[in-house]
Amino acid sequence: MLVGMTVTEEQSRVREPKECADEMSEYLRKIAEQRCRVSFSRLFSFFAPRVKSYALRQIGNDALAMELVQDTMANVWQKAHLFNYEKGSPSTWIFTIARNIRFDMLRKQQNRKEDICSEDLWPVLFEQTADPNEADLEEQTTLNQVGEFLDKLPVKQQVVIEAIYVKGKSQQEVADELDIPLGTVKSRTRLALQRLRELLKEND
Amino acid sequence: MIKYHPEHEQLVKFVSGEADPAWSLVMSAHVDMCPFCQKEVEAISEELSHEHLSNDAHVTMDSSLNLMMNDIMDLSTASEEKEQSQTSYLELEGRRFELPRALRRFASKTDSWSRLVGKLWQAPVDLGEMGKGHFIFMEPGGSVPEHTHRGNELTLVINGEFQDGQRCYDTGDFILMDSSNTHTPVATHEDGCLVFSYVDEPLYFTSGLARLLNPFSHLFFK
Ligand SMILES: [Zn+2]
Repeated sequence: MLVGMTVTEEQSRVREPKECADEMSEYLRKIAEQRCRVSFSRLFSFFAPRVKSYALRQIGNDALAMELVQDTMANVWQKAHLFNYEKGSPSTWIFTIARNIRFDMLRKQQNRKEDICSEDLWPVLFEQTADPNEADLEEQTTLNQVGEFLDKLPVKQQVVIEAIYVKGKSQQEVADELDIPLGTVKSRTRLALQRLRELLKEND
Repeated sequence: MIKYHPEHEQLVKFVSGEADPAWSLVMSAHVDMCPFCQKEVEAISEELSHEHLSNDAHVTMDSSLNLMMNDIMDLSTASEEKEQSQTSYLELEGRRFELPRALRRFASKTDSWSRLVGKLWQAPVDLGEMGKGHFIFMEPGGSVPEHTHRGNELTLVINGEFQDGQRCYDTGDFILMDSSNTHTPVATHEDGCLVFSYVDEPLYFTSGLARLLNPFSHLFFK
């Protein structure tokens, strides 16, 4: 939908925050899955100048501010697969990365890097199972059991869960297929998983 | 159940990276244990990211940013990082205590336990420039003599519960005391109580024989 648009046009466009978050999530997914350069350049054009003005306000030194932008955006490029769609928007994720880097830069300047580092306080860039409950769901329950529980969900939620967890589709693909907003897919997934968890607990 | 949490303002400073590092550490450990504050931290992060990154102030790509963008895309994907295998528990007298994630790094830096007055055990934690924190274990019925604080005393209950005459604190509770508070913590739970504590100034003992400890209070609890 934005293909072919120039960077300047894209910037001057005023957008709804929600629409923007979904769009940026989609870029992150393509960066993670395909190393998509177009997606990265769009994401970069949107965020890098904003991270830079944040950095300038925080640090006030142009060279250090650019270092912060560089480290932040390099992490985004290299660790896009760690972004958790369920846990927040791309701008929140990118902000927390920038915050971590700024924290570490400050500690380093004070020669206090060794005491404590950002990842101790805010582990945003670790490989981690998204949600221990979801891991339980996969590991401790047989497919048959889940099948039984699936039948107890509202049909709309069943369809979404099957597409994502059985057929392995992305949330965006499901949204496109069913012609519903991405946010709806997300909330149906969330509700369904919640209900499944309850059912699993009851039958434990 | 967790009843005592950091104040909202403190959490905002924590999330923005501006809280004192030692405070940040204790808050981070509390957040690990506290679903309520986890939600709070998520909400604050969202708010701050909106404030800092979504502003529609005039921002533009310049040529140096363009160069940077291309350099970044030449970077290969980072090799997968594995969380270092860390000891996740503390041991005392044959018992194991699970630590919240934020404090695990310090499990290996924790000097050995020593017995203090009465039924108290203490293990100092070297926090580098920030000074020292302490794991303190109160055996059932164990008590810290009545004291007040010259500075701030941050306490996180890691396992068990204790009382201080006014209130009862449970696993996960985050407690801030300062010079306006005088208290006598007592472990009431049958399993005793393990806390992590950070004080920026030595305690000041206020009653009885314990006052004799004051000249030496820098030897423990600081
Ligand atoms: Zn809390």
